[in-house]
Amino acid sequence: MTSPDSTAVRCTGIRKHFGEDDARVEVLRGVDYTVRRGELSFLVGPSGCGKTTLISVIAGLLETSSGEVSLFGNHLARMPQPERVLFRRSHLGFVFQQYNLLQALTAAENAAIPLLAAGVRRREAVDRAAALLDRLGLGSKTGSYPRQLSGGQQQRVALARALVHEPRLIICDEPTAALDHATGEAVMELLASAAVHPDRAVIVVTHDSRVFHFADVIARMDDGHITHVEPGQRTVANPHLGSSRNSHPSA
Amino acid sequence: MNWVGLQMLRNDRAKFAAMIVAVSLAVFLMQNQAAILATMLSMTAAQIRDVQDADLWVTEPDVECFDQVKPMRDIQLLRVRGVAGIAWAAPLLKIDAIGRSEGGRLNTVTLLGIDDASLAGLPQKMRVGRADAIRELDTAIIDPGGHELFFPGEPFRAGRSVRIRNRRLRIVGVSDIAAPFTGLPMLHTSRSTAAAFNLGEQHMTSFILARSAPGGNPEEICQKINTLGGLRARTTEQFAADAMWFYGSQGVPMLFMVTITIGLIVGAAITGQTFLMFIKENARPISMLKVVGTTDRQLGTMILLQGAVVLVLGSCFGSGIAAAVCNVIRTQPFLRSLYLPWEIALGTCFALASVTGIALYASFRHVRGLEPAAVFR
Repeated sequence: MTSPDSTAVRCTGIRKHFGEDDARVEVLRGVDYTVRRGELSFLVGPSGCGKTTLISVIAGLLETSSGEVSLFGNHLARMPQPERVLFRRSHLGFVFQQYNLLQALTAAENAAIPLLAAGVRRREAVDRAAALLDRLGLGSKTGSYPRQLSGGQQQRVALARALVHEPRLIICDEPTAALDHATGEAVMELLASAAVHPDRAVIVVTHDSRVFHFADVIARMDDGHITHVEPGQRTVANPHLGSSRNSHPSA
Repeated sequence: MNWVGLQMLRNDRAKFAAMIVAVSLAVFLMQNQAAILATMLSMTAAQIRDVQDADLWVTEPDVECFDQVKPMRDIQLLRVRGVAGIAWAAPLLKIDAIGRSEGGRLNTVTLLGIDDASLAGLPQKMRVGRADAIRELDTAIIDPGGHELFFPGEPFRAGRSVRIRNRRLRIVGVSDIAAPFTGLPMLHTSRSTAAAFNLGEQHMTSFILARSAPGGNPEEICQKINTLGGLRARTTEQFAADAMWFYGSQGVPMLFMVTITIGLIVGAAITGQTFLMFIKENARPISMLKVVGTTDRQLGTMILLQGAVVLVLGSCFGSGIAAAVCNVIRTQPFLRSLYLPWEIALGTCFALASVTGIALYASFRHVRGLEPAAVFR
């Protein structure tokens, strides 16, 4: 069994629909999903199965129609909106498919955005972001603008932006979809080595089967349900996961 | 985060420039038209304010401005002089006539006959010559616009002459008075010289200029004069205000206000529309900022700052252009009185800021309504 303290994300009976009456579309149909601390969890499935909606719900960006989401013991639905924004700012990091870097800012400045949003002084924020970029192998590109970077480099900047404020949960939406295989592998390697931490969980939405071997757990979704949860190849190698693959609560 | 907002604005150079140009042009147009209107109104009172040695003007009761002349009997001057608190009172004769230069140029002129004894109402500033030279018979000083009309392109100098009603009037100087609203040449001469041109009119006093005694209250003295009957006394500023109101109520300001309003609407519309477009095109980055925890308050401040930068830069450029154009125009003798009051410069900027504020608010509402989850799509 897994102790309750080891749970980072717990989704219970999540339902989400858009529209009403004839236009009503049920996207999530009672999802139960758990991610443990220190875990790199892959959420996979065909397009339109509800993966993106599920991570939006987990991040508190969308309200659920029913069900409950708990992040490290905090129930987002019970928080007032401003408090939820501050929770997201402090505890969540995001990596997007299209990087979503601001073209007006340098790599270091882009990576510093969560710190700037939290009120850290600009110089200190940019210095901390630059140091992190250096650790991610982009030390020479801290002053470069996104248009001067390759796709892989841009995604690494996005990864730095997700990590710079040391969040407890990182949500990645198709982080390798816009990259070629080799670059995708490199980004995933970096994600697995830099993001995984005993007190942090990482959720990766992807349907790029070539990177599945990085997963501790693979949760398969279809038609608004988690249909299957299986351990990934990395579980045994992940020193942060004390218990065996068979003890995963979603399994 | 404000710094991030400014960087986003700076990065979209085309829209940033378009917004600054729109604000600049709107501010320029509004300030230019408002300056012309203010100048025109002030010109209606220019001849009143130019007289600085007197502080009271006495006229027939119906007279509303300097250009309305209703001659008074000389006895009225004596009545005014008899009012307690009056230090001195002097007549001023105003006549409109046709003048012809040596070169044959014809113009309607305004002749101002200054009291020979006191020279009350004489121009205080001269460009060429001395004002008191008009004591000599058949001499006059001319204003810069009049000199340009009679002797176009020639440098200001004394010694030329103008013929009025078959009498030659020698120009002994060029005054530096404000440009008159009528645009007619202003010739200051002695009252005894002017009287010779006042054919068919037996009364030789158009206005009575008076000075209140030291320590006296000019407005109280005006009241005393008004109680005499058949006279209307006003302080210089009261008479100037009446003149501006008289002309201002005749529709011309309305035409200028239409242009100013068009400038305001067009400027605000272009600026607002471009700003809203800028915000909408940045919906994805803004959604990303919302996802990573930027609050609505931070985004609102960002938008306000972006709008403020555009308005301040545009207003500075627009005001600068308006001031420069004003300075170029006023080198023309007829338009020498054109000026841009700081109140108008500031007022137009605030007016534009207020209207553009609506667009900023609309932009903020758009940002607040942005669905952060859209960034995943």
